[in-house]
Amino acid sequence: MAVWIGRLGVYLCFLSAVAGVIDLGVARRRRTAGHARLFSWLILLGIVVAVIDMQVALVTHNFSLAYVAENNATFTPLLYCITGMWSALEGSLLLWVLLLSGLVVGVVHYYRRQGDDAVVQWAELVLFVVVGFFTLIMAGPADPFLHNPAHVLQGAGPNALLQDNPLVATHPPLLYLGFVGFSVPFAFAVAMLITGRVQETWPLEQRRWTVLAWGALSLGIVLGAWWSYQVLGWGGFWGWDPVENAALLPWLTATAYIHSVIVQDRRGLFRVWNLSLAIATFALTVLGTFFTRSGVLQSVHSFSSSTLGPLLIGFFALVVLVGVGLLAWRGDRLRSVVGVETPFSREGMFVANNILFVGFAIVVLLGTVFPLLYQAINGGQVTVGTPYFAAVAAPLSVALLVLMAIAPLASWRRASAAVLWERLRFSAWSGLVVIVALMVSGVHHLTALAAIFFATVAAGSALRTLRGVVRAARRRGGWEAAIGAPSTAGMVVHLGIVILAVGIVISTSYAQRHEVTLATHQTTVVDGQSIRFAGFAHTSDALRSQTLLKVYVDGHLLTPAVTTYNGRSGQTVGTPAIDSNLLRDVYLTFDAVGGGDTTSGAQVQNNLPAGSVVLGVTTEPLLAWLWLGGVIVGVGSALTMVRRRHGEETA
Amino acid sequence: MKRPVLVAALVALVVLSAFSVLLATRHPVQGASAVPSPLLGHEAPAINGTLLAQSTTPATSVAVTPGANVLTGLRGKTVVVNFWSSWCGPCKAEAPELSTFAWDERQQPVVVLGVLFNDNVSAATSFANHYGSLYNSIVDAGGVDANRYGVTSPPTTYVISPRGQVAAELVGPTSVAQLRAVVQRVSQ
Repeated sequence: MAVWIGRLGVYLCFLSAVAGVIDLGVARRRRTAGHARLFSWLILLGIVVAVIDMQVALVTHNFSLAYVAENNATFTPLLYCITGMWSALEGSLLLWVLLLSGLVVGVVHYYRRQGDDAVVQWAELVLFVVVGFFTLIMAGPADPFLHNPAHVLQGAGPNALLQDNPLVATHPPLLYLGFVGFSVPFAFAVAMLITGRVQETWPLEQRRWTVLAWGALSLGIVLGAWWSYQVLGWGGFWGWDPVENAALLPWLTATAYIHSVIVQDRRGLFRVWNLSLAIATFALTVLGTFFTRSGVLQSVHSFSSSTLGPLLIGFFALVVLVGVGLLAWRGDRLRSVVGVETPFSREGMFVANNILFVGFAIVVLLGTVFPLLYQAINGGQVTVGTPYFAAVAAPLSVALLVLMAIAPLASWRRASAAVLWERLRFSAWSGLVVIVALMVSGVHHLTALAAIFFATVAAGSALRTLRGVVRAARRRGGWEAAIGAPSTAGMVVHLGIVILAVGIVISTSYAQRHEVTLATHQTTVVDGQSIRFAGFAHTSDALRSQTLLKVYVDGHLLTPAVTTYNGRSGQTVGTPAIDSNLLRDVYLTFDAVGGGDTTSGAQVQNNLPAGSVVLGVTTEPLLAWLWLGGVIVGVGSALTMVRRRHGEETA
Repeated sequence: MKRPVLVAALVALVVLSAFSVLLATRHPVQGASAVPSPLLGHEAPAINGTLLAQSTTPATSVAVTPGANVLTGLRGKTVVVNFWSSWCGPCKAEAPELSTFAWDERQQPVVVLGVLFNDNVSAATSFANHYGSLYNSIVDAGGVDANRYGVTSPPTTYVISPRGQVAAELVGPTSVAQLRAVVQRVSQ
């Protein structure tokens, strides 16, 4: 297919978005239903045409497209041809707009019977504006369909790190789905502020759209951590890099929103606050895109920077201006008349939850932009890294675990300490047993012990709530009803978060890094694992050549490697190998090889005999719990989508 | 206050507008900036410590005796002293540049020397191995060396002349081109 077809698709998408905005504006004025469904489908059609054109060009290695010549090569395997669409900025915008357009069609379809409702019309209008903005970038400064005049025979291929692991197929799409998903609650928040109508059933529906995005973002973040754990070769999964923080910031405010909307649903409180959170979350996704694409912050994700900075920060300013301006105009008239009666109640604990999550977001944002602030005021450069973030994140996370332990069992309006203790007693004693057992087995890290204790109690609270839900459902005739009950999804997510938290605490506190030098057929013992080096293996194909080490860890064969990719001037990356079970991960890297062998691409160490290798051996207890917890969080989020009757409550 | 939301929103609007202007006027990160350090032209403060274990052989090895000033043995050579840590993002961008520079200059009287800044040894070792560092690094227990130089944030790089005087301080991630230019000026 020709280049112009893809560009035509982008133009169709953009023009439909503009036409949709005009149509909805006219419809608002005349008080009629507009043609939002037509235009949303035209938007989707346009972007699907563009995406298909790009995919065909990538799969057929059509190097007359500049984007294909830079991110594809004749020897790139099919999977990485397809994922090549999001290996660089221009193509990832295609994926971004595709997901956004799909979501817009979903929203318009969902509210098709309320097409003449002012709130729906305004929300659709806002969504069309958002689509229009991101499509405009593709129509102008970041055109994915630029023609490549040079005659390219082979192509450069994607960045080596982006063709080393199949996770690259799932991590960016989920992350983007999370990001674009937050435009729905934003659009409805703006619509409600314009029309001044919030006392209806909208909040709970908005919560469901938000949880859809939140679940995708959570899974995207966990998969990103898994990807960097498997590919980057230092055994870590989170580095507080600006680009990672960019995904964490909207996640934090969205988490606050998901919780505080419950209070609005149950007690009619926090109306303006919830609208502010929806606006803040969307603004943070735009800000995150700015951090990722502008290059103003030093980041390891250097393959994604561009010159779009001013455009994106302009859009951020517009979002803030519209959102905060509307809040200033309407906010005071929309406030709820009553407040929280006493802090010691379920709603009081939701307030604490919101303060912690928003505070968390603020300290992460400050740490991320501090180098820029410092530079503006002082002219110098400064780096903020793990020491700052870990120091602020640890106490906030423990405080959140405390809330997770108590809040689900506290009563609305006014909690009673005696009743609360009665509900908590069993899990509190269990938590105590767990930490005493840990202390006996040599865990003395105070923060770790506190985190584990409250995590255990939080798991107890979640399980107790779930037990109540199942019992209530059985009284009504079948446990299946429990799946759709209001607290089920939330408590499953809580369980996932608890497992994830335990994994993070234990694996980071008790990781052991070692380096061993082994000759062929030599065996050593590291942290109780026997490690035997059985020799080298070489593989080579059109894509890459690899030197693998055959290493037996307690009898399991692992093959850490050094891989050199063809294209991109022969990028060489280390490929770690991991032996994982629920109790511990053993993480092997091929660090260096003894003198003489220069063919492998690994670092050569001349003072070692030829044929010996230096292995990096890292053992991380309970690391797999992170991924397990992530999966459970995803399942819990999916449960929210199960339809349920409004107002059912069991706890 | 009769309209608290209005007041809060206006305050937020002012803060966020200032924030947007700040971000809009930033430029993409490019290299380190040379700063007028009070140490310039003075004798370089001592560097003590132990050698960081790493799996790669440095382009030019540095002899380290615990308790002695490492720089004493390097008189007559231009020394690039780089304070880094494994948690620092810009250091990740800079590490390959330093290695390339060390390798390019291995025939010249130029030595690259890393000094750990607020880091733990095991994390630093895996950082050095991961990036295949071609220069030695010093474990600066208690941040004594960093204090002598007045380093507040990694990466900070000092270029020390063959006569043992501080000739330049570079704050931020440096590059092969920048180091080459500075070292050329210093060696003359």
